[in-house]
Amino acid sequence: MSSKSEILGRLRANVRETYDMPDLSFKKLTFEDPVAEFIKQTTTTAGAKLIELRPTDDINEKIHEAFPNAKVIASNLPGVKADKNPDEVEKAQDLDGTDVGVIEGGVACAENACVWVPMNMKQKAICFISESLVLIVSKKNIVSNMHEAYKKLEEMGETSKYGFGTFISGPSKTADIEQTLVYGAQAATALTVFLTD
Amino acid sequence: MSTKHAIQAEKFLQNPDKVARHDQTFWSVRAKRDVLAYQLEEWEQLRESASQIKKHTVTHLADYLDQFEANATKNGAIVHWAKDADEYNEIVMEIMRKHNVKKVVKGKSMLTEECHLNENLFKNGIDVVETDLGERILQLMNLPPSHIIMPAIHITREQVKENFAEKGLLEKNGAQGAWSMGVADKTELEAKADPTYLTRCARYHLRDNFMEAECGMTGANFGVASTGEIVVCTNEGNADMSTSIPKLHIASIGLEKIIPNYDAMGVFQRLLARHGTGQATTVYTSHFKKPRPDGEFHIILVDNGRSSILSNEDHWQTLKCMRCGACMNTCPVYRRSMGYSYTYFIPGPIGVNLGMLKNKDANYHNCSACSLCCSCDNVCPVKVDLSTQIYKWRQELDSFGHADPMKKAMSQGMKVMFENPGLYTTALKFAPLANHMPSFLTDIKLNAWCKHHTMPEFAKESFHSLWKKGKVK
Amino acid sequence: MKVGLFVPCYVDALYPQVGVAAYKLLKSLGVDVEYPEKQTCCGQPMGNAGFQNKSEKLVENYDELFKAYDYVVAPSASCAAYVRFFHPNIVNHECQAAAKTMDIVEFLHDVLKVTAIPGAKFPHKVSLHNSCHGVRELGLSSPTERSVPRFNKIKDLLQLVEGIEVMEPERADECCGFGGMFAIEEPDVSARMGKDKLARHIATGAEFITGPDSSCLMHMQGLVKKGQGDYTSKAGRPIEFIHVVQILASGL
Repeated sequence: MSSKSEILGRLRANVRETYDMPDLSFKKLTFEDPVAEFIKQTTTTAGAKLIELRPTDDINEKIHEAFPNAKVIASNLPGVKADKNPDEVEKAQDLDGTDVGVIEGGVACAENACVWVPMNMKQKAICFISESLVLIVSKKNIVSNMHEAYKKLEEMGETSKYGFGTFISGPSKTADIEQTLVYGAQAATALTVFLTD
Repeated sequence: MSTKHAIQAEKFLQNPDKVARHDQTFWSVRAKRDVLAYQLEEWEQLRESASQIKKHTVTHLADYLDQFEANATKNGAIVHWAKDADEYNEIVMEIMRKHNVKKVVKGKSMLTEECHLNENLFKNGIDVVETDLGERILQLMNLPPSHIIMPAIHITREQVKENFAEKGLLEKNGAQGAWSMGVADKTELEAKADPTYLTRCARYHLRDNFMEAECGMTGANFGVASTGEIVVCTNEGNADMSTSIPKLHIASIGLEKIIPNYDAMGVFQRLLARHGTGQATTVYTSHFKKPRPDGEFHIILVDNGRSSILSNEDHWQTLKCMRCGACMNTCPVYRRSMGYSYTYFIPGPIGVNLGMLKNKDANYHNCSACSLCCSCDNVCPVKVDLSTQIYKWRQELDSFGHADPMKKAMSQGMKVMFENPGLYTTALKFAPLANHMPSFLTDIKLNAWCKHHTMPEFAKESFHSLWKKGKVK
Repeated sequence: MKVGLFVPCYVDALYPQVGVAAYKLLKSLGVDVEYPEKQTCCGQPMGNAGFQNKSEKLVENYDELFKAYDYVVAPSASCAAYVRFFHPNIVNHECQAAAKTMDIVEFLHDVLKVTAIPGAKFPHKVSLHNSCHGVRELGLSSPTERSVPRFNKIKDLLQLVEGIEVMEPERADECCGFGGMFAIEEPDVSARMGKDKLARHIATGAEFITGPDSSCLMHMQGLVKKGQGDYTSKAGRPIEFIHVVQILASGL
């Protein structure tokens, strides 16, 4: 007998009593102004920066303003002037040394500053390996809580080209040494959200 | 009558300041959790829902696992089933051999700890690098974790520095670490064992390892049956680094981590970090669905005793646990005795129970580590009846031959006395005589109560006696 | 309404004045209260030690002794909780008396709904010891772990006493480390928990520590008397201990 059938057989035999899925329609935290809450959570608890972009703003200028010393910029977004393209590098390792990675987020969540990042680039390493990460978020995609965020993802179906997505809230953090909060453990040391209409 | 836990705890308690720090550290996490709890009106509904979802899922687990496997396979993942730790290690080794893996970068996973994966890989000549900062610190120091979420919190910054110095990290990665903080000279940072500096040294040390490894391994916080994804939550992004550079990803997941769908994900995502670290979310909540372009994605579903637990009437609800660590943080005994005093690698209330389910003979020592205060029951995000279960284990110890003989004798004595009101009343009459025993007789070492307490004094006249004489009016 | 008074074994032997205060208080509030003499213990010490099977007969005796009463009231939250929640499981059937067993705080607050205690006077600052089973089993106060509206029945009652100032320590319902057999089996952890708790009580500036469980008070008092630390209250003398019911009955 294969391990699978052995395990499943035991699981079926060992159930004593079954339980139903609960009703999850109870009232959840919502915000009158989810955008304002998203901005607040992003810039306080999550430890990120946030810059609001006007339709007339030039994104490359904004990137330069925010990171005047950046030498290596990586992105596959149309219109972003980049030195490296995660779709075109030979291997993920080639993205090491990226000062600023510029990527686009989808659904964003006000209660905890989470932004859904679908993997629409061949090398997702750009989302983590860059010293600083710029995440472009549209105000239209902001919902109040994670229930709504997951609902939206479900409705949208497959959101990523390569079958990976991650919610990101702020820069990489750790408090493993004497509980001192430190930004920049293994992934991006800083996160800047570019908020668009 | 001391258990191993009590003996180890006594050692830890010999350094009162260290205990105070340990206690305060975990209490502060509990306090942060409380703040978030009070902010959410639906908090208790979320907990109840989480409990019910888990009850539903683990009692329909065979169906959900089938569904999970079908969807994961459709996504292009390769799913394996391991009935125990040995089979799990064999599966891992087979994949490693096929890909000629020399080095693995690995995210924190209690399941791999449970299956002794690292020892096994080292034995087979494969280098394993833990990538969670706390785990890496411990690995370099050759120590086991003392907590499941904050594994190295008992280590001081000075110890970290000394260890990093010894292992060459400061020399190799110190300059880059300081530079990343905008500091040209690392001397001062090093002198004060600056936590940011040490973290950054580890960052670039691990970066080198990410670049070289052929395989990334992660655990999984959740497996979503409806999509075939596994979800990994971290703050450091180490699971993501481990899986976005090497092309081979092996995820290990305990059977009970499967949940039905995104509706359930919404509930658990909101609860996990709030309970575990007192944050509204982890920084990364990563959903792994397909292998990377030109890569391979393996998911190993591990039983290792879980399917048997399901038949255990008293303890099956431990399968609801999502390993958030909240019960440890609130446990007044854990906070004052720390992880190493337990015989099982998972400490605290859930660890007492899981340890007993794993190996009673080795782990009955932890059953004493509970004052039955019930705080854990009230913090648990999935409402595992932790303290009731510990109480139940105590009732069973005698049948395993692990009851303390003194407790047994005392209980037998109490039985005789409390079943016989006449005998009880007589005992009460003579009890005050005990007050006149010289203290050197009661304060002896064998009497554990007297180690830290004076004996309580019997009243000259018991309530019974006062009542009989009509003195209660 | 007929009430049976349950004075648990250790209160009986060590703190009879707590039983007396409970009796007087109930009487003064017009309750028809009786003390059935053949009572002994709730069985918790054995259960706690892992031998609840040795208390089956005791549980049946308890039920027989108290089942005729409308309520059974005990000046001990932990014992009342043990009777109510554990007795039916020990003998595997419903217990009439267990279902009606209450701690005196619950009884005064929820059944009698006391709004005044004439004559009760205690011109002191007290720190309230919210003992674990009172909080988390009987619901005498809202557990700090839970996101529920805050309440505290003990405090409500104490505030009916003239001149009293009621404080709560930081970490309002953290365990003091008594835990019955726990204090003997894990003496060092237990003592450390107790010492930490004492420090937080004393830090409120209170002269007395009060609570609904003499067992917790006994544990902390034993630590104070052993003198391994400084337990001086703001009043300049060692912190003192008094059961809630003794304060409520102070005018009697």
